[in-house]
Amino acid sequence: MIVTRRLTSATIPMAEASAIAPLSSPSGPRPGLSSVLQRLEGPLAGRLRSGRELASSAVHDEPRAAPWSIALPGLARLLPGGLPRGELIELTAGRSSGRFACALMLLAAATSAGENAALIDLGDALDPQSAAPAGIDWSRLLWARPRAVREALAATEAALTGGLPLVILDLGLPPLPGGRGAEAMWLRLARSARQHDTLLVVASPYRVAGPAASTVLELTRGRALWSGTGSAPRLLEGADGRLTLTKGHRLLAPQAQALRLALPA
Amino acid sequence: MSRLACLWVPLFPLAARLRAEPELAGEALAVTAGNGAAAQIVAATRAARRLGVTAGMTLVQARALVPKLAARNRDNACERAAQEALAEIAERFSPRVEIAGPGILFLDADGLAGRFRPASPTAPDWTPERELGRALAAASRRAGLPARVGIAASKLAAQVAAQTAGSPGSDPTEPHIVATGSEAGFLAPLPLARLAPELGLGETLTRWGLASIGDFARLPAAEVVSRLGPAGAELHTVARGVDPRPLLPREPPLDLAEGSELEWPLVALEPFLFLAHAALDRISRRLEIRGLGCARLALELTLEPAGHDARAWELPAPTRDTKTLLTLVRLELEARPPGAAVAAFLFVATPDRTRPEQGTLFGPPALSPERLATTLARLFALLGPDRVGSPRPVDGHRPERLALVPFAPPAAPLVCRSFSRPSPAAPPPASGKGLLAVRTLRPPIALEVLVEPRSADHEPAPTHIQSLAGEANDKRPAIAGAVRIAAGPWRLEEGWWSATPVAREYWDVELDAAGLFRIYRDVATGDWAADGVYD
Repeated sequence: MIVTRRLTSATIPMAEASAIAPLSSPSGPRPGLSSVLQRLEGPLAGRLRSGRELASSAVHDEPRAAPWSIALPGLARLLPGGLPRGELIELTAGRSSGRFACALMLLAAATSAGENAALIDLGDALDPQSAAPAGIDWSRLLWARPRAVREALAATEAALTGGLPLVILDLGLPPLPGGRGAEAMWLRLARSARQHDTLLVVASPYRVAGPAASTVLELTRGRALWSGTGSAPRLLEGADGRLTLTKGHRLLAPQAQALRLALPA
Repeated sequence: MSRLACLWVPLFPLAARLRAEPELAGEALAVTAGNGAAAQIVAATRAARRLGVTAGMTLVQARALVPKLAARNRDNACERAAQEALAEIAERFSPRVEIAGPGILFLDADGLAGRFRPASPTAPDWTPERELGRALAAASRRAGLPARVGIAASKLAAQVAAQTAGSPGSDPTEPHIVATGSEAGFLAPLPLARLAPELGLGETLTRWGLASIGDFARLPAAEVVSRLGPAGAELHTVARGVDPRPLLPREPPLDLAEGSELEWPLVALEPFLFLAHAALDRISRRLEIRGLGCARLALELTLEPAGHDARAWELPAPTRDTKTLLTLVRLELEARPPGAAVAAFLFVATPDRTRPEQGTLFGPPALSPERLATTLARLFALLGPDRVGSPRPVDGHRPERLALVPFAPPAAPLVCRSFSRPSPAAPPPASGKGLLAVRTLRPPIALEVLVEPRSADHEPAPTHIQSLAGEANDKRPAIAGAVRIAAGPWRLEEGWWSATPVAREYWDVELDAAGLFRIYRDVATGDWAADGVYD
C-alpha cells in the first residue's frame, strides 16, 4: 500500500493508478480498505486515496497535493476544501480590513505545521514584535523586502522556484511603486505556483492578478470595536469585517462571511 | 613496491585553451608564445598540423601556410585552472597526488585497483590496474583534458609509459601498464635524454660512450657516486627504475580559480558575461566533483591600459548554480561598471559544504538545500543582502526596528504537526475570529494634526489628521480625515540614557473613512507621525 501525500497524477502513471483501482468500489471504499482506514490515524486516513480517485484526479486535473488547513474559521466556511496548493489566490482589501492579519495567520498556520513560507513584503510592513502573538515560527519564515512592484514580482518568482510551499506577496498600501507594465507577470507566477505545487497568495489593495487568480477573496472593513463610552477612556479592541468569496472553483454566486479581528491582549 | 599512476596531457597549453574555448576544437588553431612577429607556435590542433603547421614555427610562417589559422596566446590563468582541474580529477581517485609539471601529475595507485571488478569473469586482457587507467582517462576526457595514463612502480617509468600510451598504432585512451619489477627493463632501451640529466652531466655520460638508460644503469653504483657525486647517484637510481624520492602529495588549495586573458580588451558587458558564464560553468563542474558549493565568489579584473578591479560576493548558502552566480555578477557590474576595458579576468570561488537535508515519509516535504541556496542567492542579487532573511523580534519598543538573520530553516518535523483536512461532519463556526495586526509604516509618515481638548479631565486629543505635503510623502499612502474616535495617549520612552533618547505619545485613531491608524507625537520636537495601520 502506498501512503504518501504526494500520490499525484504526475508521480503515478495512469496504468499504475488503474492497477490499484480495485481497492475501491462505486459505492465507496471496499470493506478491507475501510478497516485499514479506520486503523490508520486520522491525519493519514485523510490523505489516503484509492486508485480510482487517483485516476479521476488525473483526468480532471484537479489540485494535486493536500490543501492547507485554514486557521480562520470564516475563511474555512467559505473554502471548506481548504486553500488549494499550486494555485494563485488573490486577497483584496482596503485599509484596516484585516488583509495583513489574514496573511499573518496563514503564515502562522504554515510555519507552526513545520512548513516553510515566504513573505514578500512590498510595504516593509512586518514588525516581528507586534506580530509575535500571531504565533509565527520565525525560523521558518523567509522575509524579503522589495522596494517596487517589479522587484516584488521577481522576488516572488524566485521564492516559487525555491520550492517553498507557501509564498505570500503583500503589495502594501497604495500607491504601489513601479506597478505599471507588470500585468503579464501574473500568469507566469500562476504557472510557476502550479509547477512547484506552491500556494501563492497575493494580498493587494485592489484586483491585480486578473484571470491568473483561481480564487479571489475580498475583505471589506466594518466598524472598529472600542471599549469605553462617553467620557470614559477609550481602548481599541478590534475590528469587524466581511470576507467575500467572489471567484472560486464551481462558485455560482459570491458568498460572504462575517469576520471579527481582535487586538491581542 | 608502491604503484604510481601518471596522468599526462599532451600539448598541454593547447588542451588548456580548448578546455576554456571548446568551440575551437575542430578549427585550425595554434597556441603561441611571445608577441608580434616574434610569436612562436607552441602547439597546434590536428587540423592545423594536417595543413603543415608545426611547433617552433613563427606565427607569420604558419599564417603563410594557413591564412585562416586562428591563434591564441598562451594563457597562464587558463593553464593554472586546467592544471588544478586535472589534479582534482586525480584526487577523486587518490588523496595523494603530486603535480610534476604542466599537464603531468602522479598519483598513488596503491590499493586503488581493488575498487574495480570485471564486467564479465571471462573478459580478455582485464586487470584491475588497466580498469583504473581507463577510468582515469575517461574522467579527464569528460573534464575536457584528454590525458594519457601510465602505471608503474617508479615516476619515470610511469611517465614514459603515459607518454608512449598513444604511440602510433595504439589506442591513446588505453593505459600503458608496466609490470612490477620490470621498470629497469622497460627503461633500459630508452635514450639517456629521457633521464633529463643536467647539461654537464649529460655531456660526461656521452663522453663515457653511454647511449641508453640501460647502459647507465648497468654501471656500478659506487663508481658512479665516486665520479659524479650526489646528482649522479640520484640519476643512477632513477635509471634502475627506483624513485630516489617518494611521492610528494600536494596540499589541495582552498579556493578554485578560473579565468582568462582576453584577446581584445572588452568594453561591453554582454561579451564579458558570455566568457564569465563559461568560466563559472567550469567552476561549477569542479565544485560538483568535490561535492561542494560556492560560499564566496570573488572577481579580479585586469583593466586596460593599467589597473585592477576586484569584487566579491558572500553567498547566503553554498550553491553551484551557474545562472545564479552569473546574475550576481551581472547585477554588480551593471550597478558598478569597472570604468575601463577589461583585459583579463579571474573568478575565485571559496568552496564550502552544501547543507544536507533528510526528507521524511510523513512530515512536510523538505526543502532542497541546493534549490534554497539558489533562491536565496537570487533574492540577494535582486534586493540586496540587507533586505532578505528571517525576521526576529528586537529587544525594544520602537516598532520600526527590525532584525534579520540568515534564513536557515530547521529540519522538517518527522510527522505533520497540525495537518487537519476540513471534515464535512464538523462544519466550522459561522463567524470567524482572528487577531488584528499592525501594518508598520517604515519610515513613519509625517502628519499635521489638529488637537482639541476633550474635557477638563483629559489631555487634548487629535481631531483631524493629514499627511504633510512634500517630496518625502509624495509616494507614501495618503492619510487625511476627521478623527472619529481617538484613544490615548500611551507613552513610550526608550534609550533615555543614550545620546538619542526616544520619547513618544501614542494614539490609536479611527478616521471617518480612511481606517484605523497608530500615530504618535514626538515629545522632544512636538512633531506628529503615523507609524502603523491596523489591518
